[in-house]
Amino acid sequence: MELQDLQESVNIKMIQSGEKERLKDLLRERLAECGWEDEMRALCRGFMRNKVTNSVKLDDLINEITPKGKETVPDNVKAELLQRIRSFIAYAV
Amino acid sequence: MCARSSLYSNPKPCKHLSDYKLRCVSNGFKDLQKFIKAGSNGRARVDKDNTEVPRCSFCNGYRGRLFMCLICSSVSCSSHVGLHTQSENGHDIAVDIERAELYCCLCGDQVYDSEFDGIVVSGRVKDLPMDKNGGFEGVEGRSIKRRKLDSKLDPGINDDLKKARLLMSSRDQRQKSCYPLGLRGLNNLGSTCFMNSVLQALLHAPPFSNYFLNDRHNHDQCPIKSGGKPCLLCEIDTISSAMLSGDHTPYSPARLLYSWWQHSTSLASYEEKDAHEFFISLLNGIHENSEEGRARDDSKDKGDCQCIAHRAFSGLLRSDVMCITCGFTSTTDEPCFDISLNMPTSSFSFKGIANKAVKPNEQIGLSTLSGCLELYTRPERLGSDQKFCCQNCQGTGSSLKQMSIKRLPLVLCLHIKRVEHSPSSKRFLKNDQYLQFPFSLDMTAYLSSSIVRKRFENRIFAFECHNSDSSAAYEIFAVVSHFGKFDSGHYVTYLRIKNQWYKCDDPWISEVDEETVRASKSYMLFYVQKRLFNIPRVSPRRDPLASGSK
Repeated sequence: MELQDLQESVNIKMIQSGEKERLKDLLRERLAECGWEDEMRALCRGFMRNKVTNSVKLDDLINEITPKGKETVPDNVKAELLQRIRSFIAYAV
Repeated sequence: MCARSSLYSNPKPCKHLSDYKLRCVSNGFKDLQKFIKAGSNGRARVDKDNTEVPRCSFCNGYRGRLFMCLICSSVSCSSHVGLHTQSENGHDIAVDIERAELYCCLCGDQVYDSEFDGIVVSGRVKDLPMDKNGGFEGVEGRSIKRRKLDSKLDPGINDDLKKARLLMSSRDQRQKSCYPLGLRGLNNLGSTCFMNSVLQALLHAPPFSNYFLNDRHNHDQCPIKSGGKPCLLCEIDTISSAMLSGDHTPYSPARLLYSWWQHSTSLASYEEKDAHEFFISLLNGIHENSEEGRARDDSKDKGDCQCIAHRAFSGLLRSDVMCITCGFTSTTDEPCFDISLNMPTSSFSFKGIANKAVKPNEQIGLSTLSGCLELYTRPERLGSDQKFCCQNCQGTGSSLKQMSIKRLPLVLCLHIKRVEHSPSSKRFLKNDQYLQFPFSLDMTAYLSSSIVRKRFENRIFAFECHNSDSSAAYEIFAVVSHFGKFDSGHYVTYLRIKNQWYKCDDPWISEVDEETVRASKSYMLFYVQKRLFNIPRVSPRRDPLASGSK
């Protein structure tokens, strides 16, 4: 329980200070640079092409692609973000 | 969301969205407008309460996508968004807080509405007046919708756009692909820098290059080419296309070289040639190969020939010879492709040209272009040893000769004579003296009308009409410089494109600054009439040497 509370308070603090938004931007940038975005885009297209029905629900797409996306984030990107989060905790919390 | 089909059409609203719109008219969306804020990256987001973190009303979760009901503003996370619409009837439509996108809770899918898009756009623009990257450009619903649709399929498109723009604006000088179109190196085919340097200048002379750009010489209809003979115009046309192809690898003008050899057989060898000699020879060749040149009777005055070589480069030089005895002046006009100028400070005294009064400061060592032009248009006393016989009085006394420019060409080529024959050492030597020249040149003072006026001062005289238009103002666009000794040297061309100078050294193109160009041993200066020169919108740095007030 305590860990969850801790997580929550850190998260709230991040959002309030704007750090979360900055981290998200950094993450977007790194993922675009290493081609992860393009891979995801291709996955999405592939998913939709294979669908029998003409329309694809947003939720279905998200549920399908999200785990694959999480798996394929490069290690160095993860490391960089973890480092940033650590610094934030050390400094701001 | 639809899979992209070849015929794009705006997604239709679902039943629930249509119902909502009918019920709430447009109040629903409008209320939202004041809550639209711009996120850190410029994207629109919904921010009802600036301080509090939005949480799901069911699970208190704050992670993932959060949706705010349009009717009651209650927030649900993606897992519980269905619960809300079940508990409250008619609360079907919500908005994704982080992305400002509509979501239908019953369909479980994203929906679109052009009116909503308009609200989002205007709300965002209000919040962020300065348009950063990827900002919405118009309130037009359709374009926004397409962009929003795109950004769903291509989440990174805004970042891509940002990167692309950064790339285009960054000025990496080493990247050849950033160089302007039309700039391309020419391979040296064996001491052919004389040809390369002249070609670079020619291909950047506005009226000349435009002729080929407008495809005025048609390969297929060229009678010379179809007759199996080399046509210089066809070859230059080929080179012009190659320069503008966008390919930046150096080009080898071998065919032109070959065609020119065929044309001027006396000059056909791999020895180093004089660039000016090549220039004149090439223009003559173009004239002969041109339709207008061929139709022309050779004996007639070439001055008003309409071939591209003449139209661009041909001017009219006037030579006035006045008899000292009776004052009668005989005038001769001769067409020319360029003007060859002597440098005022030369180390050797010439025996043929007598008694020139040279200004003291010019002897010190600073030569200027205006000095050369003045020297050229200076009245020259011809002694009685010059075989002159006056038409009027038949006297054979001394006479006064003066050169002036009767008609200026569109492109003015000034040839600086740097080679001198030293009588003492019986050798040809190069005058490597620095020549100061302006980037903006006013030739009014050297026109026949000005010269004649000066000569006669206040006399009432029947002058020819002097064109008062500004066709005497010129801008420099190319400089051919020679480095090295008289018989073993190297030519390079400096080109001025949109106020940036480039050095064309055979295949190597590089950006250089003004000082480098000024310090080079200029051999041929190419000026074009100001009205034909593409001057950039930004006002160029003031040229301290612009000669205009002589």
